[in-house]
Amino acid sequence: MDNLGFLFAANVFVWGAIFFYVFRLGRSANTLKKDLEALKESLHKSANK
Amino acid sequence: MNGENNDDNKPVLLWLTAAAFAAALYAIFFYVPTERTEGVVQRIMYFHIPSAWIAFFAFFIVFLCSILFLWKKEREWDIYAMASAEIGVLFCSLVLVTGPIWAKPIWGTWWVWDARLTSTLILWLIYVAYLMLRIHTDPGSMRARYAAVVGIVGFLDIPIIHFSVLWWRTFHPQPKMISAQGLGAGMAPSMVGALLISLTAFTLLYFLLMGQRINIEKLKDEIDRLKKENLYSH
Repeated sequence: MDNLGFLFAANVFVWGAIFFYVFRLGRSANTLKKDLEALKESLHKSANK
Repeated sequence: MNGENNDDNKPVLLWLTAAAFAAALYAIFFYVPTERTEGVVQRIMYFHIPSAWIAFFAFFIVFLCSILFLWKKEREWDIYAMASAEIGVLFCSLVLVTGPIWAKPIWGTWWVWDARLTSTLILWLIYVAYLMLRIHTDPGSMRARYAAVVGIVGFLDIPIIHFSVLWWRTFHPQPKMISAQGLGAGMAPSMVGALLISLTAFTLLYFLLMGQRINIEKLKDEIDRLKKENLYSH
């Protein structure tokens, strides 16, 4: 029984979904870290004025 | 699950997860024999069952953390519940997609409305609703409370899913890994071994994703706190 296409499709979906989620988490974390740094810097500047 | 500890443990957990997945993929595609009746498509099982395990485990964590949130009223528990729900929905989606891909060549149909499949779809809908509730309501303790109630009630579907194949006549086969005959009694030892490696890899991935998701929520809280402080100081 040759159903290699089904096995391939299942693998593409599983790995695609996992990598997409990991990529989304990484991007969110980077954006938030940058926002936090910028906010801290602006607070520091306004405190020094 | 302290933020700094998460960062310290992340490289170790990352390498452990990568190694476990490398071992799992080797076992799935090179070690286990091809199943006699279903053929090569049966190898989907090594992704389908671990995805189901992680979905159930993640929703159990939601259930547990929701109870702890309602009891202790600490934001920490709400964060853990939310992070686990998101990961649970991801893996439940994988179950609902890999299942029909496996079913089509074996049952001749993508989907049947039997008790196991229907109750799993209901579980997915409950936790999607949980996440939508969180997105569409204002942040605060009321949102966390409503979400906690949905998180607890939603978990009640999991015993129904587990016992559905025993209580009703279903297309979905009865459990082979955990059965009355013993652990893995209905499977070849090499298949049990490959499945256990895959289960380990998926479990490690769950903890890796949890650490990352919790970190994101803590960063958001920190930004909100600083913004509020800045607002009140002016």
